[in-house]
Amino acid sequence: MRLRSPKDFWAGLLFIGIAVLFMGFATQYRFGEAQRMGPGYFSIMVGAVLAGLGAIVAIRSLAIDGPPVERFVARPLLVTVAAIVLFGLALDHLGLAAAIAVLVIVSAFAEREVRIGTSVALAALLILFSVAAFVWVLGLPLQVWPEW
Amino acid sequence: METLHNLVFGMGVALSWQNIVYCFIGCVLGTLVGVLPGIGPVATVAMLLPFTFKLGPAPALIMLAGIYYGAQYGGSTTAILVNIPGESSSVVTTIDGYQMARRGRAGPALGIAAIGSFFAGCVATVVVALFAPPLAEVALKFSPVEYFSLMVFGLVAAIVLARGSLIKALAMVCVGLLLGMIGTDVNSGVIRFAFGAPELADGIGFVSLAMAFFGMTDVILNLENPEQKGVFAAAIGRVLPSLEDIRTSAWAILRGTGLGLILGILPGGGALLASFAAYMLEKKVAKPPRHFGEGDIRGVAAPESANNAGAQTSFIPMLTLGIPSNPTMALMIGALMIQGIAPGPQVMTERPDLFWGLIASMWVGNLMLLVLNLPLIGIWVRLLNVPYRLLFPSIYVFCCIGVYTVDTKIFDVYELAALTMLGYLFLKLDCESAPMILGFILGPMMEENLRRALMIAQGDASVFVTRPISASFLIAAVALLIAIAAPSLRAKREEVMTE
Repeated sequence: MRLRSPKDFWAGLLFIGIAVLFMGFATQYRFGEAQRMGPGYFSIMVGAVLAGLGAIVAIRSLAIDGPPVERFVARPLLVTVAAIVLFGLALDHLGLAAAIAVLVIVSAFAEREVRIGTSVALAALLILFSVAAFVWVLGLPLQVWPEW
Repeated sequence: METLHNLVFGMGVALSWQNIVYCFIGCVLGTLVGVLPGIGPVATVAMLLPFTFKLGPAPALIMLAGIYYGAQYGGSTTAILVNIPGESSSVVTTIDGYQMARRGRAGPALGIAAIGSFFAGCVATVVVALFAPPLAEVALKFSPVEYFSLMVFGLVAAIVLARGSLIKALAMVCVGLLLGMIGTDVNSGVIRFAFGAPELADGIGFVSLAMAFFGMTDVILNLENPEQKGVFAAAIGRVLPSLEDIRTSAWAILRGTGLGLILGILPGGGALLASFAAYMLEKKVAKPPRHFGEGDIRGVAAPESANNAGAQTSFIPMLTLGIPSNPTMALMIGALMIQGIAPGPQVMTERPDLFWGLIASMWVGNLMLLVLNLPLIGIWVRLLNVPYRLLFPSIYVFCCIGVYTVDTKIFDVYELAALTMLGYLFLKLDCESAPMILGFILGPMMEENLRRALMIAQGDASVFVTRPISASFLIAAVALLIAIAAPSLRAKREEVMTE
């Protein structure tokens, strides 16, 4: 057996995985009956449909040719996710200004060529703009500086 | 006459100076962000949502509509000048628009796009005003049975008209439905699928979902494939098209508008399908000499008129049925929900200011775009030259702040990070995000309507096929699925989508 369409194969498995995960949780909820649907009723139904569709996608991928999975470039994705998480942590403990600085400077590492000077300047500019727009003009509840 | 009366009432709402200002700000911001390469209207609307949180429902919706039109127009600008379609509905504009720019006629191309859009917008406003109320009245009579079947039909139609594999799109709808079920079940109070995180009791925020799938993942993909395209900024020339240009494109604009009006109402169609169809039609029926592909002005006029008309009539199902026909409309519905308004036919009777104000503001927004964009085109062009190095961290900042300010919850930021990874995975496996977000928005409504329908029918599922209206929706849905699965049509669909 040969994978003729790797992209579809993995997509099918992903669908089945998601379906199984949700259906697994849904068994803990009351299923009920058609007349009185419990919280598990619709979830199990949709999960079953998704699992079925996933199976079709995966099985078809053994028979029909399709594109390979493109190369996975780890750097932009991982740096981006890390930058967002650090933004959250910084915003929680240090306030908006620090959070923006962290986000901008960390995310610069998503590119191969990192220019720290540019990033610092951009961070300063974005802090200024965000504080002006979101805090002063729009009055959104944002903590700009750390609380001591 | 009643329509006229209502439109005047709507104008009164839209033309209050406060709403004019919001509409204006929306148009400017929408164009500003829409012009930036690689940011489509969905991401634009999602990113700019926080600007509307503090407003009332009517100004918020009016501003969002302004943002949407601005983003659409911004997308056409990049299509013409840089050969990068800001969004899928301006893909065809790149064909002749970019060729015109290369031949030193960027100005007239941008001008005719604005004029065509404005004309289409004017007609579409009237069409929405005429057809939305009767449709809403019909919808008010729907019971949960009809509603459920209508949603099934809407979802099926939306994927049939979308790109890519049909089965995967259906599966993505299911993924969206499941993600939509995360959180507290309104009927039983049970918290479902919280995966041990108490913060998930309120469900996944649709803003984080939309930003992750339409904003962040796109940026990451751009970072993976860095490429630069030449900007024809130097040679824009005069923006006003010559009289001859207008004469040549008059019919193209009319035909494009007509097509756009009809296709926009279809679920999943909206602006995208309209612009493709208009270009194909123009290639067949335009008066010779034709230079399509080499900078024919009709190749810009027709799809641009069509996509604006379609963008506007796609508001009809959203306003009257509460059913989104495309991801942008899904965002609008989400924005309404944040404002505490349940979208659906009752909006017209319960909140006439909102309903008619929005319709009137469509026209105001189009007028603003015309007077705003033509003189300011030089500034927009300069934005095109902003290097990506500066752009993408700024996008991150606005996305993160936006996600956080929806509920002022730090958890939502982490949620954004997690969903970004999921969205990236789907993107790499060629699974479309659009069906997912439609499923996500419709999920809770579908479940509720199914529950009520089955309760009324005492558990007898045959009620969906014995009621005539419900049965016709389901038959239409099945017919669409069969039609698209048939080999000949399928080939045709792929041909149209890839062209």
